[in-house]
Amino acid sequence: MSTHHQKLERHSLGFAMTILVVASIGGLVEIAPLFTIENTVEKVEGMRPYTPLELAGRDIYVREGCYACHSQMIRTLRSDVERYGHYSLAAESMYDHPFQWGSKRTGPDLARIGGKYSDAWHVAHLEAPRELVEGSIMPGYAFLSEARLATGHLPASLKALSRAGVPYTKAQIENAEKDAARQADFEQNYEGELQDSYGDNVQVRDFDGAPGRLTEMDALVAYLQMLGTLADLETLNPQESSR
Amino acid sequence: MALKEKDPVSGTNLTGHEWDGITELDTPVPWAARWALWGSIAIAAGYWVFYPSFPTVTDYAKGILGYSSRLEVVSSLKEAEAERRQTFAPFQSGDIASLAKDPSLEARYGAAISKLYEDNCAACHTAELTGQEGFPNLTDNHWLWSGTPEEIEYTIRYGINATHDETRMAQMLAFGADEMLEKPQVTEVVEFVLALSGQDHDALAVEAGEVVFEENCAACHGDDGRGGYENGAPDLGDDQWIYGGTRNDIYHSVYYGRQGVMSAWEGRLDDPQIRMLTLYLLWSAEDAPS
Repeated sequence: MSTHHQKLERHSLGFAMTILVVASIGGLVEIAPLFTIENTVEKVEGMRPYTPLELAGRDIYVREGCYACHSQMIRTLRSDVERYGHYSLAAESMYDHPFQWGSKRTGPDLARIGGKYSDAWHVAHLEAPRELVEGSIMPGYAFLSEARLATGHLPASLKALSRAGVPYTKAQIENAEKDAARQADFEQNYEGELQDSYGDNVQVRDFDGAPGRLTEMDALVAYLQMLGTLADLETLNPQESSR
Repeated sequence: MALKEKDPVSGTNLTGHEWDGITELDTPVPWAARWALWGSIAIAAGYWVFYPSFPTVTDYAKGILGYSSRLEVVSSLKEAEAERRQTFAPFQSGDIASLAKDPSLEARYGAAISKLYEDNCAACHTAELTGQEGFPNLTDNHWLWSGTPEEIEYTIRYGINATHDETRMAQMLAFGADEMLEKPQVTEVVEFVLALSGQDHDALAVEAGEVVFEENCAACHGDDGRGGYENGAPDLGDDQWIYGGTRNDIYHSVYYGRQGVMSAWEGRLDDPQIRMLTLYLLWSAEDAPS
């Protein structure tokens, strides 16, 4: 008895060609949609690349493994939306490399944590979570208030992201170090400049409550207070952005 | 190549390979595994046809059912809102002052509203509403902005020193750090505040402290130091302190200033929810031993 399959696997060239065809189908299905994936990202106003300080905060967020317990993705479920706010949009993570969606939560979702609590609360809570939230199992990160924020690598970080498609301008890359310090400026002397460069939704203030010192706490709180505040959800057309 | 041969023991085909007299069975994949494979491919193909799937050149494949998880959640939220509108009917409209006069609401809705409070407010003000350092006690019936229903509602909606355009602004200046007062003057005015609140104090310094107070502090805290609702300046003569009432705490407040932030909840909470929380705070303050 000799089936087609047996014939095929005994014919080296024919078998090689068949492998090539089948693997190409797999590749095509996976790769081809990526060329037009932009079409699936909703049009919404307000999204902008992260400022250098927010980006530094994001790097700390990733470094400390916050994503292991906190997702940044409000799902299209009534329970999620009622607790955390408007469901997350693809546009809201389009400048994330990598995204912070997550499929498991130990702590609450953080996609719209920005503005929910005050800076002082975030600082106190990060330093000693159980002092503020009874029964919390979150570790403390008091050292962030002591650690001076390293900014030397920020121009390179922005440049790397711009190669991955984040639209940073040349000036933004060059000024990254300065901009990071200026966003945590107590006197808010550079609020106008930063908003001209990045957009009106840049928040400029001393985030960690220790004026004159640029700490990792400044960066992380700046990042948290920005989360979910960029996209202007009023400009979203629900029909057009239905998915 | 000998392909025809079957293994005499199992009756299964042989692969046709032979090494030193050892041959290999060509046992087919079990039928269940084969069906599972083809079945899942068929289901996947079905999903592609019926549900939204991959991006296309200008848009994305929407699927013939026209399903959208986003539109679905929007409609389920509308249902939820309709349910809530019935369940919490008294809070849907009307001004907060007349709602505050209805004594029956607390018994009917207090427990339900406490969940709303715990989800949103307890992180700072604690589940017992007693506050903690930096976050005011809500049960003591001492208010920064007068404690009328309208003013509490305003504070919840727009916050204090928040990012909202309508937010309340209140700032205790950094009298020491910004060099408006000399260090001895700060010490004197702290003694005056200690005296004001009936604590142990250095009687010699109080007199000088009173002058400093009148010139620098009375504009917001009032001539008698009992606070000013227009500025959100706290009463310094009571025993309630947001940032602590010891000599050291007060010194720190005068020297470095304070600028507490209450978030603006407009947008995060809807109007009925803000009304409910306003009443919840009023009820708790009423129950407080004054």
